[in-house]
Amino acid sequence: MREVGIVGVGHTKFGRWNGSFLDQAATAAVEALRDAGVDLAAGKAHIDQVFLASMGVGQVNKISGAASALVDTINLRPAMAETVENGPASGASAVKLAYMAIASGMADTVLVVGAEQMRILTGWESTDFVATMSHPDAEYPYGLTLPSFAGMFTRLYMEKYGLTETDLAIVSVKNHENAMHNPCAHIRLVPSLHAITEDEDADVINPYVADPIRVYSTCPMSDGAAALVLTALDTGREFAHKPVRIAGIGQATDTHVVAERPDPLDLFAVRESARKAYEMAGMGPEDIDVAELHDAFQILEIVESEEVGFFPRGEGAKAAREGRTRVDGDKPINTSGGLKAKGHPVGATGVSQVVEIVRQLRGEAEGRQVKDAQTGLTTNFGGFGNNVVSIILTTKEEG
Amino acid sequence: MMELYAYRCDACGELHHPRHFVCRKCGNTEFTEEVLNGKVRVLSWTKVYNLPEGYMQPYLCFAIVKFEDSGLIVSVQINDDKPYIGQEADAAVGVVKEAIGKDFYGFIVEPIAV
Ligand SMILES: [Zn+2]
Repeated sequence: MREVGIVGVGHTKFGRWNGSFLDQAATAAVEALRDAGVDLAAGKAHIDQVFLASMGVGQVNKISGAASALVDTINLRPAMAETVENGPASGASAVKLAYMAIASGMADTVLVVGAEQMRILTGWESTDFVATMSHPDAEYPYGLTLPSFAGMFTRLYMEKYGLTETDLAIVSVKNHENAMHNPCAHIRLVPSLHAITEDEDADVINPYVADPIRVYSTCPMSDGAAALVLTALDTGREFAHKPVRIAGIGQATDTHVVAERPDPLDLFAVRESARKAYEMAGMGPEDIDVAELHDAFQILEIVESEEVGFFPRGEGAKAAREGRTRVDGDKPINTSGGLKAKGHPVGATGVSQVVEIVRQLRGEAEGRQVKDAQTGLTTNFGGFGNNVVSIILTTKEEG
Repeated sequence: MMELYAYRCDACGELHHPRHFVCRKCGNTEFTEEVLNGKVRVLSWTKVYNLPEGYMQPYLCFAIVKFEDSGLIVSVQINDDKPYIGQEADAAVGVVKEAIGKDFYGFIVEPIAV
């Protein structure tokens, strides 16, 4: 198989985008193309394929075949183009498809863009939009949402491993601190741990969303776009950046109905996607210097840090309490601020996670740089863990 | 009285809810419906304040429950403000979502007073 690397990254400021869906996607795309040193003049870009990842471009923005519109507005015709919808894992799915396109020889250079516009919806509508990824008969009509599943999951985990709401808040504060150094982050403030846990007004400052999950243990609704330029490493084509190699990609699915899992605390697809990515890369958890894990809820960062093999089962919160997942810890997680503070424009998230790892491996993560980072992992979580993609990136030569 | 069903595989007897097109155990595609009711036990629960479009309540409680007879585990609405793990309830069926021209029926479990 051909080796594939990333030579360009782009990322809008997550939060609220005051423009069209296509302008937001194009902004990230053009930034990534220019970062790679690609000439945007007609016929000069030599981008063979574009994948546009979005969960809501059809449903929310009412645009079908959006990738065709994107390709045209950024002057990449006649590149091949597809829109990729895979719930909140759309972004990493698009990266995987780009890898497959290049590795197969069908394409040499591919642009991946992830984009989402959630803030044009009311809170009611966006909650409904996100809930459409649940089971259409057994979950969605009940009013069950992703926070509902995360709440029930958190309560069980608390019961079994003694996790506390303060443990969730510690992870939250850590991610907010990291976001202060990421100019693209949606929320740039650091809550005081005391104010959101023990203060007499903690219930007002940090109210329940889905008991025991509170505002500060779940992500915000964000607009945002992120983009990557991927290329084959055997073409001899020169880019403005040295490629960051994709060493491994793994993906796995699990029961669509959360209640059908034999162990309700088992995030099998996270574990399996990571296992496959490690296997492809010929690496293990000990090789990972920095990771972006899908913390749509703080409980997920904790459990994913166990499922990808960083910490033993039930010890993810302890590791966070000990500071091991901070930027200067031995397993830094979500240096970007994570979904919690950087924001979670669903279809853009998987691409955004890869952008952060590329910045870390290039040494460009100013203020949040992990020292000597050479290898990073991303885990992008779809549904309540029913479709998960993990990616390993490295600056090390193939071993 | 509205009823909800479990789907028993005609070949191997595996019970499903919701319906699967292919038996998750043996690969068969023929099932027989069985009324799904009786006592359940709460495995976990949550009280949700940010409900999606179409729900007019300030909050709703949800639970994952296990049927005592069949062992099937399902997600439900629970008619209690303060559920607890291990709580016993009856698997009643009611309107879980009202929509213009179409109501959706599902389990709204009723706690059994102790
Ligand atoms: Zn069967």
